[in-house]
Amino acid sequence: MTEHLILKNGVVFDPMNGVEGEVMDICVSEGKIVEKAPSNAKVIDLKGNTVMAGGVDPHSHILGSKLNVARVVSPDVNRHHPYPATKKTRSGVAGIIPSSFATGFLYSAMGYTTVVEPALPATKALGAWEEIEDIPGLDIAMLPLFCNSMISFKYVQDGDISGLAAYIAWTLKKVGGLGVKVVNPGGTYAWAYGKNVCGLDDEVPEWDVTPRTIMTGLAEAVQELGLPHQMHFHPTNLGRPGNVHTTMQQLDAIGGIKPSGKKKEVVHLTHMAFDCLGVVEEGMSNWKDVASGGLTFADYYNKHKHFTVDLGQITFGQSMTMTGDGPFQHSLYLLTGGKAKWSNIPVDVELPGGAGIVPFTFEPKSPANAVQWVGSLEFALNIKDLWRMFLSTDHPNGGPFLKYPLLISWLMSKKQREHWLGKVHKFASERSTLAEIEREYSLNDIAITTRAAPAKILGLEKTKGHLGLGADADIAVYGFNPEKTDLANNPDLILKHFLQTEFTFKGGLQVSKKGIVGKQLHSRVISVHPELNQDLSQRIDRELEEMMSKWFSHSFSNYPVPKRYREHLEMPTVIDSTAVKA
Amino acid sequence: MTEANNIFNAVPCTFCGCLCDDIIIEVDGNRIVKNTNGCAISKERFIGHAENRCLEPTVSGKTVSLEKAIERAVEIITSSKRLLIYGLSSTENDAQREAYRLAELTGSVVDNTTSVCHGPTILGAQESGEATSSLAEVRHRSDLVIYWGANPAAAHPRHIPHYIRQPGEYIKDPKNDRKIWLIDIRETTTARMVDRFIRIEPRTDLEVIQTLRALIRGHKLDVSQVGGISIADLEEIAIAMKSAKYGTLFFGLGLTQSWGRHRNIDAAIRLIQDLNAHTKWGLLPMRGHYNVSGANKTSTWVTGYPYAVDFARGYPRFSPGEYTAVDMLARGEADALLNIAADPVAHFPRSAVSHLTKIPVINIDPKINMTSQVAEVNIPAAIAGIECDGAATRMDGLPLYLRKVIEPPEGVIPDRDILRMIIKSLEKVMK
Repeated sequence: MTEHLILKNGVVFDPMNGVEGEVMDICVSEGKIVEKAPSNAKVIDLKGNTVMAGGVDPHSHILGSKLNVARVVSPDVNRHHPYPATKKTRSGVAGIIPSSFATGFLYSAMGYTTVVEPALPATKALGAWEEIEDIPGLDIAMLPLFCNSMISFKYVQDGDISGLAAYIAWTLKKVGGLGVKVVNPGGTYAWAYGKNVCGLDDEVPEWDVTPRTIMTGLAEAVQELGLPHQMHFHPTNLGRPGNVHTTMQQLDAIGGIKPSGKKKEVVHLTHMAFDCLGVVEEGMSNWKDVASGGLTFADYYNKHKHFTVDLGQITFGQSMTMTGDGPFQHSLYLLTGGKAKWSNIPVDVELPGGAGIVPFTFEPKSPANAVQWVGSLEFALNIKDLWRMFLSTDHPNGGPFLKYPLLISWLMSKKQREHWLGKVHKFASERSTLAEIEREYSLNDIAITTRAAPAKILGLEKTKGHLGLGADADIAVYGFNPEKTDLANNPDLILKHFLQTEFTFKGGLQVSKKGIVGKQLHSRVISVHPELNQDLSQRIDRELEEMMSKWFSHSFSNYPVPKRYREHLEMPTVIDSTAVKA
Repeated sequence: MTEANNIFNAVPCTFCGCLCDDIIIEVDGNRIVKNTNGCAISKERFIGHAENRCLEPTVSGKTVSLEKAIERAVEIITSSKRLLIYGLSSTENDAQREAYRLAELTGSVVDNTTSVCHGPTILGAQESGEATSSLAEVRHRSDLVIYWGANPAAAHPRHIPHYIRQPGEYIKDPKNDRKIWLIDIRETTTARMVDRFIRIEPRTDLEVIQTLRALIRGHKLDVSQVGGISIADLEEIAIAMKSAKYGTLFFGLGLTQSWGRHRNIDAAIRLIQDLNAHTKWGLLPMRGHYNVSGANKTSTWVTGYPYAVDFARGYPRFSPGEYTAVDMLARGEADALLNIAADPVAHFPRSAVSHLTKIPVINIDPKINMTSQVAEVNIPAAIAGIECDGAATRMDGLPLYLRKVIEPPEGVIPDRDILRMIIKSLEKVMK
């Protein structure tokens, strides 16, 4: 399967290596970027094309039970989007929640090569691995949820950070995860009682824990273990006007955690478009008074360096909201006057109140939606350090990942923003500063925020997000000449080229050409296996057996995902966490 | 897998949707001699696994080699214009995934047994969503459990004793802290296991549910009784539902396949959604075949749709009522049937079976069943969860790894491998 390639004369954007629009040759051998390719290498002339590393998407819901429930409940969203089979590739559907094969192919066609599923109930991980068999062409990672688990609560309540860290390490190894996801800590659990939490120090039913102790405990445990990706955080109060202030309070609380390694960031705040809503002056926390929180949050971001962010941009049109935040999903259902189709999926012990799913349409003419749309753009156009931010739509929440080109066009083109400001409710202009913002992202900025920064944020920068020696040969070639194409004044070209690459290479193999996927490659799974010292390892085996036998409804020995489903896909990185005290 | 002296612990039972995974299986040589913890059905399934087996492939009643049987199956498939692939709920996920591949390759329809059990549940969810629950959640928290149109005593024997009538973290005394009710049209054996039995008149499920919704929303009704229950009693039931801390509704085919069908489920879902404005409620279908939930899941991630999928155009399309097996057969549309791990002749209505006897049938099953009697090609399969491994999904969505505890009969291979052989031969023929 190995191929040797020389990609000649492309205009390369590789910000991790300081390359900005230089004509360069890239050599590929055995799936890696190398200094010099063997003499039998295939040469492809990319003159007049733009070359970047394969896209990296650390936050996209591409698998798991919530996605399947959404597909089952809303077949209508896929009905008119067939994805036919070819001799070499499987069929599927390609609407806002594409089927598994189509998910892989659509990402390949867009030039993305690494995608992270950010909400895995670990107890259902076996099903996730089975699905990955049918999602081709990507390197995939998963972030198990630890935030509303009774086991986490037990360790947080006891102030036992070592125990919490060991539970995380045990789970990442047994189910093959990359990092730690936190969703509305304590709130989803409270939803099992029909309640939610909002303040940092609110009580969580039955337990002596609070949102503050859960989020700081987990962030600390992640640092103790030395995981490459900081705690991936969906805060409390999601989707509540004015929540930019409570989000900053929560980030402040986590800011007290000391980073254990070189990386300064201890938390990744995800889908800020849903977390950073403001209100008008003297306004109340309701949708009538909602205003952009983008500027407020950009200011906070520019002053505080302990966190990273992704946008969770809403893109208008039909979407499918799905989060591990059960009470938020229920409130969204109530917001539709109980008309929407509301689904809720509790999971044994790890997600007692449950994840929720509500199909939702973001309307350009809705004042609330227009303000939410503008907030994340205002933020992105006002931050100084792009290396701590990546683009996302929180697929399929703010819209499907297929809308990334649209998001890119808003960032790269003032003309495009003006066009859209004319289409959406006037509050977008009145309650934000977007109309006055001149800044336009350069191609280099796009390369940072779609591959280089996300790779670094995930801790995968050794092999992902760049085109330097030793990187995986994941390469996206866009069919426009950056020296001759005025993208900012031709936003339609942005939409065209970023939806379908000229070529996408995954591990040195060409998977697509002009948006047509011609090769169905098995995906691989990136995971982290933290090694604990023997004492801690023995302690956690004992304690988890006791808790899991008592609390889960299935047998302890049936919790781990068997090797048979993993060994041909998994690329585990073993990290030394033996310093965590027993 | 824990294996010592031929004892296998924590084995999932592959009979019903409970997928109880605390079964201890003892094997002596090539015989299963003991099943500890299993219900009567589970014991029969494991200990009697060798009974009534189809041991050799046959074509038109004559014993043939596996290769010959595959060859004939491929002939039937290639000469068919409208192949129906059906069954899949009593096998493991990989076999299901191969079936979709075969359907795509041949432009066929693929349907699973959902279309004759909880199909209406899915249609109801497509109207209204679905606020589900999970089994540990019910055990730890549920203080009011209602079974509606379900008879777990017969169909899911350990559902009540293993999952529900057990102490949980916040229900210390399951006898007193948790009430179990049954709503049904007749006093089944389950009625004897519950704390309260409420009989309603046949064909009134929808009315009773909608009445409860109205009462829970505080409406006054101008009738004295609905479904044979007085309004006063219904009011009391509505109040009890509203004042439960965590309620759970388990429903069976008595709700999905009776008068009203998907409308019953739609209403039941809306009832649960309404209750969530006051307290916490969830609902779960009592899935029958051990991996019918898995069949929905695999079909959904591979094709986008849970059942009734047509590949005639080279991509999946979904249309229950059109691409569902009974309708395909009753309309006389299917001109060949590939049946895997199900028994349509035993369960389908006469009009469908009548057409089925007129078309070539390929039947893949471990046992001799009624469909084997009409099938032109019979191919024996290993029993998943006993003679081969795999994955399956419990009724609440939990995936579990199935064990191989014993070798299959000689020459008998898993469903997935039979399907792969068919696909491989087809790919050669179709080149």
